[in-house]
Amino acid sequence: MKFTLVIFSAPHSAEGAASALRFARALLASGHNLYRVFFYGDGVHNASALEAPPQDESHIVAGWQALQQQHQLDLVVCIAAAQRRGLLSASEAERLGKPAANLAAGFELAGLGQLVDAVVYSDRLVTFGD
Amino acid sequence: MSKSILALCRRPPYGDALAREGLEAVLAAAAMEQAPVLLFMHDGVFQLLKDQNAKSIEQKSVRRNLEALSIFGIDKLYVCQHSLEKRNLNCGQLRLPGIAIELIADPGRFIAAFDSVLSF
Repeated sequence: MKFTLVIFSAPHSAEGAASALRFARALLASGHNLYRVFFYGDGVHNASALEAPPQDESHIVAGWQALQQQHQLDLVVCIAAAQRRGLLSASEAERLGKPAANLAAGFELAGLGQLVDAVVYSDRLVTFGD
Repeated sequence: MSKSILALCRRPPYGDALAREGLEAVLAAAAMEQAPVLLFMHDGVFQLLKDQNAKSIEQKSVRRNLEALSIFGIDKLYVCQHSLEKRNLNCGQLRLPGIAIELIADPGRFIAAFDSVLSF
């Protein structure tokens, strides 16, 4: 079955972010297909290259990156939600005249059309957030 | 491919950014000819109140997003009756030009009829 996950939870703030990552691992391990993961609202912080949790805590960004490499996942971060919250790719940082970029490797910035497309082409849409 | 899509709007208009971001996603879907049906419930019913003064708290009014729905042919919104009554509101306080409001007594059954649900 084709799944899309929508994530509204910021990592290390709300349970939804860690649950989404575990759910993604479980569905891939069960042989399902993960069409796309769409990060929206505060969920955009799951794509920050600057996440630096203490060693004995879960490293959610790295978890997504490892899964992305293993399964060639489509990890899409809403560009409008990301810009509002200071999550920028190198090209966006340059375009907007900001001093740094922090979009982690393996994630892509794109518009809400990618969410709409995912709704249409997935069998199941699962939302993680409060 | 055509799917029936429901957008669930549950957030207070200025207490949670997902109220506005949810409506932005709804408008994006409508612009791609995938207009969802909208059901307002819990604190989301506050989004529909007329006479909002968002400027006084330095916010953009969500009413502008809601009024744009009619451009995409959305002429009816659904509201959870129980959520409205619990907040001591009535239909007369929720008005949008050119858009009808229908109360839903059994939101569970209503939601279950859709192929996909976007939860905001």
